Amino acid sequence: MFRLALSRLGTSRLRTALTMLGVIIGVASVVALVGVGQGATGGITARLQGLGTNLLTISPGAARTGFTRGAAGSSNTLTQEDATALAALSGIAAVEPEVSSSGFVVAGSQNTTTTVLGTTPAYPEVRAFTIADGTFFNQASVDHSLRVVVLGATTATDLGLTSSAIGQTITIGGVPFQLVGILQAKGSTGPVSQDDQAIIPITTARAYFSGGDKVRTIGVSVADANQIELAKATITTTLQARHGVTASALDFSIADQAQLLSTFSSVGATLALLLGGIASISLLVGGIGIMNIMLVSVRERTREIGIRKAIGARGRDILAQFLIEALTISLIGGIIGIAVGLTISVLISTVAGWAIVFSPVTILLAVFFSLAVGVIFGVLPARQAARLDPIVALRYE
Amino acid sequence: MTAVPLAPELLVGTPLIELRGVTRVYSTGRLEVPALRGVDVDVWPGEFVAIIGHSGSGKTTLMNIIGCLDRPTDGTYRIAGEDVSSFDDDGLARIRSRTIGFVFQNYNLLPRTSALENVATPLLYQGVGRRERLERAKAPLERLGLGDRLTHEPSELSGGQQQRVAIARALVTEPALILADEPTGNLDTASGEEVMAILHELNDEGRTIVLITHEAEVAAKAQRQIHVRDGMIVS
Ligand SMILES: Nc1ncnc2c1ncn2[C@@H]1O[C@H](COP(=O)(O)OP(=O)(O)O)[C@@H](O)[C@H]1O
Ligand SMILES: [Mg+2]
Repeated sequence: MFRLALSRLGTSRLRTALTMLGVIIGVASVVALVGVGQGATGGITARLQGLGTNLLTISPGAARTGFTRGAAGSSNTLTQEDATALAALSGIAAVEPEVSSSGFVVAGSQNTTTTVLGTTPAYPEVRAFTIADGTFFNQASVDHSLRVVVLGATTATDLGLTSSAIGQTITIGGVPFQLVGILQAKGSTGPVSQDDQAIIPITTARAYFSGGDKVRTIGVSVADANQIELAKATITTTLQARHGVTASALDFSIADQAQLLSTFSSVGATLALLLGGIASISLLVGGIGIMNIMLVSVRERTREIGIRKAIGARGRDILAQFLIEALTISLIGGIIGIAVGLTISVLISTVAGWAIVFSPVTILLAVFFSLAVGVIFGVLPARQAARLDPIVALRYE
Repeated sequence: MTAVPLAPELLVGTPLIELRGVTRVYSTGRLEVPALRGVDVDVWPGEFVAIIGHSGSGKTTLMNIIGCLDRPTDGTYRIAGEDVSSFDDDGLARIRSRTIGFVFQNYNLLPRTSALENVATPLLYQGVGRRERLERAKAPLERLGLGDRLTHEPSELSGGQQQRVAIARALVTEPALILADEPTGNLDTASGEEVMAILHELNDEGRTIVLITHEAEVAAKAQRQIHVRDGMIVS
């Protein structure tokens, strides 16, 4: 029976190929999009982990005031002293307060506008950065408000600066700074790149760009990743006491990476599902293509069906013949589609630098779905063929 | 007319085919076309019967009913003693598969399929395995002088050859009854006589043959003639 189907399909190769193409495109896009979705999720998750799993980020303003929060400055409740107090707590490895503003940076003939971040030497440790060239500025630079700068990888590239530029002078907002280091790139984790910033001592930032003793964010590195919850509780108690607020009216919030990670993973899963869903529509279209061609085929071969019935074929023999034809198209199309889809997702993952996700479940599902498409869309034409009245079929011209 | 006397043992027992008061009315939209109007036919095992009548007299309709491709609107039909009205579609297919071999006017071979595969196909529907099918299909083809045409497709064969392939296909299941509807209708005289000779040979071997024709000289070669006119048997 299978041999019969193959030889039948062989006699109208172009038509079979075109019908199969519909299934190939459908299956390939499902496999590729699901693969890309998983790859993207995996890639971004890996980068989020690169942010430092021990990292707690304290921001001003209670989380529950949510969308009604005022301008950032108006709710600036965190201070340099808060940061100092937190650093003294046990279980805390490092603390770095941050202030930030936007700045126009010029290096020779190149210029760019970027985030100017004022912080302390704890920054690389807390934010899990490594230094690519030069060094990070030290505590003395902070104590003396030195005009030294460490550039993010992207900013350095934008300004055409490489390792040979360490020691060179660049200007930020017209103020000259000495370039002391360039950070290793981390890759983008969202619209704001961590690699696009100019980092200067927090005291220097206060002196030249943002006055006052308020800080935008305090980054805390917890000594033991298993003690994150305990650390959060200790920090909350400490800041509550310092700010004189009750537990029900906190004027700060603490975000941890684990929370962000799990949020992102679920978003990623939804994304993969959504992409797969969209791609299934093309699989559906491929299925309709099979049904269309099978209906035409049944009509064209009405006489053949009549002959087969006359020489002893039962309805179910004819049904099987046409179903197997539809299944053959969809299965071969499915297998080719999987190969094409995997190739596409490997290519995209390679270009984007994600780990290649090879999921046997996706492959099995794709095979299953292409077979299902063959059955669902093949059964109607096959039943039509099986039910043909032999005398009507034999008279058909 | 060559009146071959029937062997007496064939006249006892049950007829292979027994039609009683069979009618067949085609409903085409509002129109009711009575193609058969109360037909009684008996065919005994080993007979060579010709059904003769003008075009439109109901011959093909009669053959379809005898061949279990169609059911009577009214009346009863027994084949080998069994009432056909008690069978469902699969039951009819089974009778066609085991008991009847068809030879059509326009050959009705499967297109783009070799002579050997064509002859082997009825065995497919008996559940015979592929190797045995092809093996068994060779014998009737060789017998009918087509041993060197096994791989030819119908389009590569002459009308006479195609009809011989069709006869081989009818024979491969060793059916009790061969039903031939105007088997010489599309053939030149020489090929037509060849086909008739084959049918007579098969009859001599004991196979029952029902031949449908509108040509008196073809019918004349049968043992017995049944004349049909306007859906009724006239003699
Ligand atoms: N499927 C059908 N639907 C309607 N009328 C039919 C059908 N088949 C045959 N007829 C009519 O029944 C009559 C007998 O036809 P048929 O048995 O084919 O005659 P013959 O084979 O002797 O030429 C004709 O009038 C024909 O038009
Ligand atoms: Mg006719």
